[in-house]
Amino acid sequence: MVNLRTLAARAPDTAGALAELARQVEAGVSPGFVCVFYDADHDDRQIAAFLKQHFPRAAIIGGTSCAGVMTDAGLGGPGSIGMLVVDDPDGNYGSAATQLVGSAADCAERALRAALIDADCEGELPELIWIYQAPGKEEEVIAGLRRVVGERCPIVGGSSADNKVEGRWRQFGPDGALADGLVIGVLFPSGGIGFAFQGGYEPAGPTGVVTQVGYNTAGDSGVVTQSSGREILAIDGQPAAEVYNRWIGGSLGGRLAGGGNILTDTTMFPLGIDAGQVEDVTHFLLIHPERILGNGGLSTFAAIEVGTRVYSMHGDRSRLVERAGKVATAAAASLPGGAANLAGSLIVYCAGCMLAVGDEMPKVADAVNRSLGASPFLGCFTFGEQGFMLDRNAHGNLMISAVAFGR
Amino acid sequence: METIVSGGVAEELRETIIAMGRELDLLRTEARHANLLIAALDSVLAVDRGEDPFAGVFTAVSSIFEYSHALALVEKDGDHGVLECVSSSHNDLVGSSWKVDQHLGKVLSGRVLTTISAADSGGWPAEAAGIITSSQPALYLPLRVRERRGLLMLMRTMDRGGFDRGHVSLARKFSLLASHAFAASRANQTEAESHRLKRLTERLEASQEELTYRANHDQLTGLANRSHIEEKVNDRIDALLPGEKLALAFFDVDHFKQVNDFYGHGVGDALLKGVAERLRGEVRGSDLIGRISGDEFVMAFAPIHEQSEIVSLIERVRARLAQPFEIDGTTLQASATIGVSIHPDHGPDYETLRRNADMAMYQAKSTNKGGVGHFDEALGKVASEKMQLERRLRAAIDNRQFTYALQPKVDIQKARIIGFEALARWIDDNGVVQPPARFLQAAHELGLLDAITHTIIETLAEDLSRLDASFGADVRYSLNITAQQAGKPNFMSDLVRRIDLLGCSRRIVLELTEETFVSAGLFQSRVLPQLREAGIGVSIDDFGTGFSCLSILADITADELKVDRSLITSIHLRPRSQSILRAIVSLSGALGMDVVAEGIETEEERAYLLDSTSIRFGQGYLFSRPRFVDDLVAAGPLTIAVTPRAIPRVFTPGPPGKVDFAI
Repeated sequence: MVNLRTLAARAPDTAGALAELARQVEAGVSPGFVCVFYDADHDDRQIAAFLKQHFPRAAIIGGTSCAGVMTDAGLGGPGSIGMLVVDDPDGNYGSAATQLVGSAADCAERALRAALIDADCEGELPELIWIYQAPGKEEEVIAGLRRVVGERCPIVGGSSADNKVEGRWRQFGPDGALADGLVIGVLFPSGGIGFAFQGGYEPAGPTGVVTQVGYNTAGDSGVVTQSSGREILAIDGQPAAEVYNRWIGGSLGGRLAGGGNILTDTTMFPLGIDAGQVEDVTHFLLIHPERILGNGGLSTFAAIEVGTRVYSMHGDRSRLVERAGKVATAAAASLPGGAANLAGSLIVYCAGCMLAVGDEMPKVADAVNRSLGASPFLGCFTFGEQGFMLDRNAHGNLMISAVAFGR
Repeated sequence: METIVSGGVAEELRETIIAMGRELDLLRTEARHANLLIAALDSVLAVDRGEDPFAGVFTAVSSIFEYSHALALVEKDGDHGVLECVSSSHNDLVGSSWKVDQHLGKVLSGRVLTTISAADSGGWPAEAAGIITSSQPALYLPLRVRERRGLLMLMRTMDRGGFDRGHVSLARKFSLLASHAFAASRANQTEAESHRLKRLTERLEASQEELTYRANHDQLTGLANRSHIEEKVNDRIDALLPGEKLALAFFDVDHFKQVNDFYGHGVGDALLKGVAERLRGEVRGSDLIGRISGDEFVMAFAPIHEQSEIVSLIERVRARLAQPFEIDGTTLQASATIGVSIHPDHGPDYETLRRNADMAMYQAKSTNKGGVGHFDEALGKVASEKMQLERRLRAAIDNRQFTYALQPKVDIQKARIIGFEALARWIDDNGVVQPPARFLQAAHELGLLDAITHTIIETLAEDLSRLDASFGADVRYSLNITAQQAGKPNFMSDLVRRIDLLGCSRRIVLELTEETFVSAGLFQSRVLPQLREAGIGVSIDDFGTGFSCLSILADITADELKVDRSLITSIHLRPRSQSILRAIVSLSGALGMDVVAEGIETEEERAYLLDSTSIRFGQGYLFSRPRFVDDLVAAGPLTIAVTPRAIPRVFTPGPPGKVDFAI
């Protein structure tokens, strides 16, 4: 029998928040897995000490989340810390952490094998791999994990976030926090797993083919490739920023020449790539344009290949509010035994969407709560999302990922 | 049914389709699993005493797990640290001893597991060397064999992918049931155990039948669903004898959306059930019937030997549907438009026949709702051309081949250009300029019109500085918006936003037909205020055609009214048209709207408007044909040649004796 609980507290000082969390810890329970997310202003060491004291046998995974967390108790807001405590005596859980130095793919592969050993499941295919990492190398991380498990099990997670995109994000593993790392959890729950990965945007009409991307070095080798990268230089042979600006109605206007950060301007207008079709209906993986480059290109939070068709996408607030609930519903429905078997959930919600939704964010937490029938859930706000879409593990932006635990 | 979808509706449609697809996949998977389990259980139960029960099990699970080697290992009597191979797909392994390592120990305790990489093979017997290795993908299933713990070990060759979560899920179910089966198949099994197992098998069979039924049938009507009717029709085609034909009839219930909207979904569903019931009542034993979407049904009649047979069959069904439906005390007069295609003449398989019958239905619907359309070669040719056009149009959007030509609106008294109407043009791969008549309808049907509109507005905004240099910054530019586009608040809001972002709101006028104001309630309440707020002008286009209801004008806050060319043509010779025009001009004047006369082609028409009406603005070939921006700009400062009573065409050298002046 799987039993999930959430702990949540909000306080400007870490000690105050942890004191409140300590009051919520259930005596006599020794969970096998604990997820922890928190506002980047909190002190990592105090959180590590708390976890060691209260959950000494649990596999730990988590990290910083933009402007706090959300749980079944509602939106935590700035200064909040949330924990999802999984008590599953018949399941196996393990975690491992690594700095992302050198080849991210190699780091990911090593960390996965270490996490499997930690779970006492060396050589076994997990039900689900949970990842939390510094933004920037997500595709390489997934490629490394794919070497081991192919597309045979879902890889779900997020890219850690701070509050002001200042690089203060951290990842939290079994030995505490890292600043530029990757933490991996392997889950073998006894009650089964459900999951879903979706965006809340629709195609707006314009579309074009990426004809040039920025230079990328392949790992440590220094080999230059031009086929994939996070800088889109040209679409249909024209400067990418210019084309994109035209697609979204010219709102970037004056900044085309000067360049600079466009994150907040583009949240409602991401690019989409065709992730495949179900019943003739196209699914889109979203890519968030981040910055206009001096050379007329666009930098993004996800890699793209030359020859890929990109679509101009459009979202609105109300859809982003409701979408999290719909993704949670889809994850619960995919559990063995359906939503009736739901014990609790983890939600990864894009921080970009959160900033766009603004003061209506409490409605997002409400929507998830309604969808999950008030079962426990912990949600983090991230700078990139990973999930399993149409038989493939992928990294995207402005997406929502959900994992449901069965009883 | 033609469907134009806005963003929100598209999202809902996508989710519904995906959810249905997932549910169907799930049902089919469960049905397949149930079939497999039954086969495997049967193989265990059917084994005679003394025979190897695993041989049948290995065969039953091979199609799903696609293994290369299979082994059954069972705890040795008195030594639980060692397993004995009691059966294997490779005879050399039978009798080998296996030390219980970490993986095997977990499986013996009840867990199904699959491997991802090389594992320690220290406990593997020497017999395994050269046959299987621990680096091969493996799936382990716990099994209880005659009160002893054991397991099945399925191995794949290295070149095959490993087992996935789906295999693990199925293995869990199989493991449980197979253990029951082994328990019951003991030589000394009791009657009670045998009875319990029989009940279990029956329940499984019933559940399998139910799952199969649910996976293949529409829940509302009980008819075959889209995928199942496709399978059945294709099977039926395969079974036809030489000379026999199959007729596929596509039924689209007319006005179903209105029934749903007006009476509610309960009545709509009851109507669909009623239609299904009547269609079911008309099929012969060898015919097939299915519901393939909301209000669409197909019937397959086979065998058919003559075309006349299908005509009478369809007529009978049509007559049956034409009888009124009594639903909850309401009498509904329903009808369906029907399209028919014939195998082999019109297609080798279901999908081709359905597409062609759909096309015939669509054609019939456009001319004779409730009628019957038969697919023929001419329709096929039209369809093929339409498909080619679709491909070309989509490519044209991708390649930005859509542009616009400008036709001036002129102050007919002062001979001054006051604005331009932007008219869509498509310059195809060969550089040929295609007029709107060639592509607008198709673009509308394919949902591509919005993208074309966006392209035109964006290109116009880019051209604006060049145009201003030639024509001045007080000239406004009109853009045509169809009633369907105007009826989509999301599209219109997006358009307003785009125009606003391009910084040219006060330079743009949207030309909308009367139909927009009559049929689109949302337009008046939601879109018009946005246009007003942004400063975008509104023009009523083609007035005098369509509804031509003067009273509508009183409710509309428009800046301009364009009188249709049908009223202007030979206006000087048509007293009745003159009276109508006077009324329109008078009312427009009272409402503060400028009036533009469209389609002025002769000097006589212009003279009449100048002398006998207060209309001061006009548009037409008398002044200029539509021209591309490059041509307009290259021509330099424009001139309009006029005489005191005559204005020759703009942009052409004026005949001697006429006065030219610069714009």
